[in-house]
Amino acid sequence: MLSYALRRILYAIPLVLGVATILFFVLNLAPGDPLALYMGPGVSPEAMERIRQNLGLDQSLPVRYGRWLLAFLQGDFGYSLTRNQPVRDLILGALPPTLLLTGGAVALAFLMGIALGVVQAVRQYSALDSLLSALALFFYSMPSFWLAIMLILIFSVNARNLWGWPVHFPPSGMTSAGHDLMGFWGQLKDRAAHLVLPTLSLTLVLAGGIARYVRTSMLEVIRQDYVRTARAKGLPEHRVILTHALRNALIPVITLFGIYFPFLLSGAVFIEHVFSWPGMGKLLVDAILQRDYPVVLAGSFLFAVMVVVGNLLADLLYGWVDPRIRYGRHPGGPRPTARSGTA
Amino acid sequence: MVSGRTVPTLFAVLILLTGCGGESGERPQGISAVDFCQPALARVDSFMGTFPKPEVDPERYGGTAVVGTVGELAVGMNGFQALEAGAIQHQMFVNLMTLIQYDEDLQPVPYLAESWEVSDDLTELTFHLRDDVHWHDGVLTTAHDVAFTYRRAVDPATGFPNPGFFQHYLPGEEAVEVVDSFTVRFRFQEAHSDYMDPWRTVAIMPRHLLGGVRPENLARHPFGTVCPVGNGPFRFASHSSGESWTFVANPAFPQELGGRPFLDRYVYRIIPEHTTLLAELLTEHIDVYVATLPHHADRIREEDHLRVISFPYRSVFFAGWNTRVPKLADARVRKALTLATNRRQILEGIRGGRGELANAGVPPVHWAYDSTLVDSLPYDPPRARRLLTEAGWVDRDSDGIRESEEGEPLSIELIFNQNQERREVAEIMQAQLGEVGVNLRPRVVEMTSLAERITSPERNFEGVLIAWETEFRLDERDLFHSDAADGRYAFAGTRDPVLDRLLDTLQLIPDREEARRRWKEYQERIIQIQPYTFLYFPHRQDGVNRRLRNVVMDVRGEWANLREWWIAPDHRKGP
Repeated sequence: MLSYALRRILYAIPLVLGVATILFFVLNLAPGDPLALYMGPGVSPEAMERIRQNLGLDQSLPVRYGRWLLAFLQGDFGYSLTRNQPVRDLILGALPPTLLLTGGAVALAFLMGIALGVVQAVRQYSALDSLLSALALFFYSMPSFWLAIMLILIFSVNARNLWGWPVHFPPSGMTSAGHDLMGFWGQLKDRAAHLVLPTLSLTLVLAGGIARYVRTSMLEVIRQDYVRTARAKGLPEHRVILTHALRNALIPVITLFGIYFPFLLSGAVFIEHVFSWPGMGKLLVDAILQRDYPVVLAGSFLFAVMVVVGNLLADLLYGWVDPRIRYGRHPGGPRPTARSGTA
Repeated sequence: MVSGRTVPTLFAVLILLTGCGGESGERPQGISAVDFCQPALARVDSFMGTFPKPEVDPERYGGTAVVGTVGELAVGMNGFQALEAGAIQHQMFVNLMTLIQYDEDLQPVPYLAESWEVSDDLTELTFHLRDDVHWHDGVLTTAHDVAFTYRRAVDPATGFPNPGFFQHYLPGEEAVEVVDSFTVRFRFQEAHSDYMDPWRTVAIMPRHLLGGVRPENLARHPFGTVCPVGNGPFRFASHSSGESWTFVANPAFPQELGGRPFLDRYVYRIIPEHTTLLAELLTEHIDVYVATLPHHADRIREEDHLRVISFPYRSVFFAGWNTRVPKLADARVRKALTLATNRRQILEGIRGGRGELANAGVPPVHWAYDSTLVDSLPYDPPRARRLLTEAGWVDRDSDGIRESEEGEPLSIELIFNQNQERREVAEIMQAQLGEVGVNLRPRVVEMTSLAERITSPERNFEGVLIAWETEFRLDERDLFHSDAADGRYAFAGTRDPVLDRLLDTLQLIPDREEARRRWKEYQERIIQIQPYTFLYFPHRQDGVNRRLRNVVMDVRGEWANLREWWIAPDHRKGP
């Protein structure tokens, strides 16, 4: 498995560099100017040209590409054109908040989604199944930014101002204004309170989709012969479902994990925007809107890496969930292959 | 194996660690944030630590005010990069100091300079500085800092955004003289009508910290966003990029200028979504919602604990026409577009009348504004139709749209960036211009693309709906002078000798009455040639929590009297 993983990583290097190169040219050839937002009678055109020179934007595209690639290979992601800070600092600052938010939300979403999907499959066509299906579809099809605004309206604004609930949550941000003056427990409580609404927004949308997958997958599995055999052996129902059926039903869900994994770093763009969460999603969107090429490139590069890592992890997890899967060579690169035969 | 207890513990650690974003890093030019900032901020802490907790009126002193806006102070406290209004205001009123300030009547009052003289021929300006203003690290602010700021600002390598401020100064070293540690003299080639104004907005920068930095490296120096060391009423405490800035009261601020500010701390929060900003204000997590959207202002007025401060500002909203496009080259057509637009109705409908109609770029708060011109181009569709017919645009095929003799329809694309107000204005204009046979086609374009389309040499646009934020010191040469017609901002492409002559002389008339007459001529000429359909000067609206006392917001900006804001003890929050 180790050599398989190493081979996959080696294959990924040119892929990721290719992605970064394409991104560089696409971004730089797209219309738009990072200094456009400063345009106005308050900034003279000559000064604008000088600022452009100071930022290196007056150089030809191949020269800029060469310089960028050279620095990039040395781990220097460059300097933000609009935030006046090194890109590395910006990314290092944005990663932990995103990991905290998306990590928590993805974990919760998988737990909730798997639990609900199993319950639905076991109680297929019951009133509970219909109710959970309706709820899952409701949240799955809901635009995340709208859900976020509704949660703010209900659990923050109305809960506090209209209904006077004893518990209400801050509408946005990661900490309160006086956070640095609080004690350890105060800080922990403050951060946790700020996490509730964005995590809930993300979790509800993700869990709805995961529950649908798990339900379908479980329904296929519990009709298999080996499940019937397990029941015939007299195993208790919870062992049949959780040990025999669920593990097999999880294979398609792992594919879903591979898809969601990059999202851990890319962040939830709309959620971070609405909740003013200072993570990668917000950083990237601001950078795209302002044509802050170095930030967009570095962020997209990380995203590409996460796609590769997510796929690799998903492939490795297949083997863990399904021991029939072996890792071998494939003409188009290494792929996990399922050994023929039945369990 | 990860135990059941480890996961929550790791999560708790992550929760606490998320505040510790990387603020290290080598600068591309070799200026290390760590090398510069750590000792600089340590000196600030050390100096500030020498001030005992002051015995002050507990009723007024204390508490934290939080201001929320959609935008980051991107250039931070770097006065050499005074590119955006929010950052400039923080440089002027919060962390740094200017030589003078304007009072509520926009008259110069002492600030870092306690007095000044100007020679009779208005070619020498001498400032006498206060001798008790310290940089936050304890070093005295002197005339050398002022001379340093001037020298860097006029050095093209710095990329200072407003070199035009000093265009009438003598070249090179002749322009500035440090007479003594607290006296600095500037010399001009010729008198200027607004010779004091630049020193209201140019923040003085610390020579002892930045004197050794090459001009071209100043823009990226960590001073701006990582560790500013100012001399203003609030000192820098922290900055988390895209999230917030925190400033704390400067106990060393001179007593004669009000001394230590009333607030203990002032926090600037960046909240990109307007709806969230509204929620934050309603739930009292922020005290000020800067540049409140008109419909949010109505909601805020419903709350007893909040109020809306509405004040005239310096922005002007207009539809700019590309006169290089043949169908827009005739001034009669452009005038017809303005006459057929019911601007008063638009102002009423979109902003509840909060603003003033515009006919040129001189805002009502400016001394050169002439109120007699306000009704120069009233809504008059019959006159608009006559002008269009005179210009050869007639509806020849009875489809409701006018055509030229060659059969080209009078169809104009109006581009604007995604913004609810602009979309509504564009749609209203489309309907109103349709009444006189003009097919206006509104189109949303992403902001940076829009800027490129109107400023690039190709000028790939016909009309653009946009707003400028003007300075107190108006100079529209870059917009309308023939010499600048190929420049970035001259997107209207005006070439008019009368306008050129006026633009060449307006800045150089020291006598205000004479200057007002010439400015009136200038505005009349603009009305005549109509490079833009000027719409209105919108009032700025800010939602404010009533717990904040003594908040003055006016044309100078939101933060003009931040150091005098206060919160009564029973309304203070937090630890």
